[in-house]
Amino acid sequence: MIPMIDLLVCCIAFLLITAVWSHMARMNADAQVPGPPNPEKELNPQPPEKMLHVEMRQDDKFTLIWKQGPTVVNSIDVPRHAIEVEQGPVTAIRFPELAAKVSEEWKANGSHRDASDKKLDQAVLHTDNKTVFKEIIAVIDAIYTPKRDFGGASKQIPAFNVTFSVN
Amino acid sequence: MAIHEPGRRLMLSVPLKFVQKRVGGGGHRGVSASLNLTSMIDFLVVTVVFLLMTFSASGEIPVDKNVKLPKAENTVDMVDAPMISVNGSQVLVDGTAAGSTRAIEDAGRMQRIDELFNILKAKRELWRATQGGSGRPFPGVCILQVDQMVPALVVKSVFQTAAFAGYPNVSFMVGQLPRSDRPQ
Repeated sequence: MIPMIDLLVCCIAFLLITAVWSHMARMNADAQVPGPPNPEKELNPQPPEKMLHVEMRQDDKFTLIWKQGPTVVNSIDVPRHAIEVEQGPVTAIRFPELAAKVSEEWKANGSHRDASDKKLDQAVLHTDNKTVFKEIIAVIDAIYTPKRDFGGASKQIPAFNVTFSVN
Repeated sequence: MAIHEPGRRLMLSVPLKFVQKRVGGGGHRGVSASLNLTSMIDFLVVTVVFLLMTFSASGEIPVDKNVKLPKAENTVDMVDAPMISVNGSQVLVDGTAAGSTRAIEDAGRMQRIDELFNILKAKRELWRATQGGSGRPFPGVCILQVDQMVPALVVKSVFQTAAFAGYPNVSFMVGQLPRSDRPQ
């Protein structure tokens, strides 16, 4: 009995010392900078893939635009209704309507939906210069909402890869 | 029959002082108390399970006290990468001052932050000098720790500066919101 209690007390001491009370995470928003061309490889011109451009330049709506290269395939307006969620001292913003619409659009137009497909559909976020950072994060969070299977395992990954446009 | 004062009678005839004192009600409580082992072990096990559930292998991430991070639901785990912090008008790279955003806000247009660019470039060159021989490509990952009220103009400038300095894989650091589709 005594060694067991000793073990438990040691475990508690170790776990208390190494405990992390603030859980931080990250959201990818890469700049999609192409790498340098390899002179040894011949370039095969690839047809441009469909990309979802999310415009958040207007106060009352988002615009979702499917583009294939410079060609606009489809354009949808989504009302910009922010929902505030109290999380301790911080108020988080969510856009559930945008998340639902992005999921619906991916199911209808997404190019990479098979579990064996290692590529992801691309979403590009465009914003004006005045938008505050928490709204940008809320929109990226909404774009990352649709999930798909990846590989043979039951692993779920976001359906889109988000690029933050600086234009 | 004489009337006696009421009180304890049992074992008063034992000719030992400590016995008489104890049965007479004048004794002290024993100095050693017994402990219920079952409830103590239960408590210890519950504490260990709770601490194991909250355990994080990635460790504590230092967050600038002046930065209030936004929260998000669909996130990924942190990685070890240069941390660019933007609070108010100050830019820091891993805690070292790396310029100001005041010029960007005053100009009202996006521009490169030279100090930040130079520090990130130096970090990239350091990585090449120390780990470049291993054959691994440079990951180009950096993490932006931005206050939730910072305008997009500043975020874009920092983002573009990082990309120009060779860090195109930018991640935004956020607080973790509980997933709505995951049972709590």
